[in-house]
Amino acid sequence: MRFDSVFGARFPPLSGVFFILACLAACTAPQTRALRDTAPSEPRQVELTQTPFFPQSDFQCGPAALATALRAAGIAVDPDSVAPQVFLPERKGSLQLEMIAAARRNGALPVPLAPELRALLVEMGAGRPVIVLQNLSLSWAPIWHYAVAIGYDLDASEIILRSGRTRRLTMSMSTFERTWARGGYWAIAVAAPGSVPASVSEPSYLQAALAFEKVAPPDQSLLAYQAATRRWPASELAWMGTGNSAFRLKQWQVAESAFRRAAESGKDPVPALNNLALTLEATGRIDEAIEIARRATAAGGPFETTARETLAELLARSAHTATTEKQ
Amino acid sequence: MACVLAASMANVAMLPLANAGLVATEQVAAGFVSNGDSNRYRIEALFARPEIQAELIRRGVDPAEARKRVAALDDEEARTLVNHLDAMPAGASDVLTVLLVVFIVLLVTDILGLTKIFSFTRPIK
Repeated sequence: MRFDSVFGARFPPLSGVFFILACLAACTAPQTRALRDTAPSEPRQVELTQTPFFPQSDFQCGPAALATALRAAGIAVDPDSVAPQVFLPERKGSLQLEMIAAARRNGALPVPLAPELRALLVEMGAGRPVIVLQNLSLSWAPIWHYAVAIGYDLDASEIILRSGRTRRLTMSMSTFERTWARGGYWAIAVAAPGSVPASVSEPSYLQAALAFEKVAPPDQSLLAYQAATRRWPASELAWMGTGNSAFRLKQWQVAESAFRRAAESGKDPVPALNNLALTLEATGRIDEAIEIARRATAAGGPFETTARETLAELLARSAHTATTEKQ
Repeated sequence: MACVLAASMANVAMLPLANAGLVATEQVAAGFVSNGDSNRYRIEALFARPEIQAELIRRGVDPAEARKRVAALDDEEARTLVNHLDAMPAGASDVLTVLLVVFIVLLVTDILGLTKIFSFTRPIK
């Protein structure tokens, strides 16, 4: 055979390389194989046919993927409006961190997913398309590409993508897994404030919510944190975020009950008690505020100084109010 | 230079102030989410932001847009980005490029006699 004469006899090492290549091509990628062997509880087929499609223009797969996911989350954007927010002309592409930051700028919470195919299936099963980064080529000659996963078929072992100029690209799950693995298993779910992606963990969601709180208006971060309290009712951080956002909105009742829950939930009740005291003071309940602030200072810990300052301030204000009332 | 200065001043203003003694959510988060030493991160991020902005402008981003892009990054993202901007993948691929690469690879394998996709190729002897 010519194959042998060229690669076997004359170039013995090459025949080994081709043998390995042939093996690699024949085996199924590990996570795909695990999915096939374990029969997961997710539905066998999902396709989010309502997901919009923006055919990308040259090198603009980042803006196209981002606009697709944002639209699916109910945020009205198009690739032309997000392109200036993510596209890096010299690199002819978009960086992952800027994709995340731009999703936030447009009023959504971008939440990184676990590096597992299963997480993608869970999100799609819950009706949420997922932005993925693939390296379509080989690791030493990368061709980076963002696509949006919109469905899968476990029986056919296929994944369905909005990708580049193709509205409905079906790709073998195994091939997808390899291209996605070469992209570092990077995937994000884009959620409108008030909804929590189905597969995400409490720390990864709250980290996303914290970053969101810094750039979003307080009414939006309130929605994001309230959603977290519904999913993780014992989460101190979710209640703190709810309280702080409500405080900024002057929704004193919401803030008060949130800080009370946070004080019960966390290991260290001082931050929540401190903020609760300030909330009570804002509604004119100065005596209650002082009592709570005293409890905060008594508990000690890293926020003790803040609590002492708050108590001193409340006592001073109370004294001031008392003297003005006497006059 | 003026842009960079203005940006760093804007960032100082963006630092969370000890507003009425309210403990910020992120201060509580310091021990919970994996952002380690948040004070150190915040300071590093403060210095990183003007640098990222300058780098974005150098890579063809409109200056006004670059400022907004930097502002949307959180502290940890800013720290990561400033150190690895050129090493990071930039998702870019144009599908035509991919097809072209596939075409050339198949053409070569055809010519080597490993595949037979195209009618016009003849394997080398």
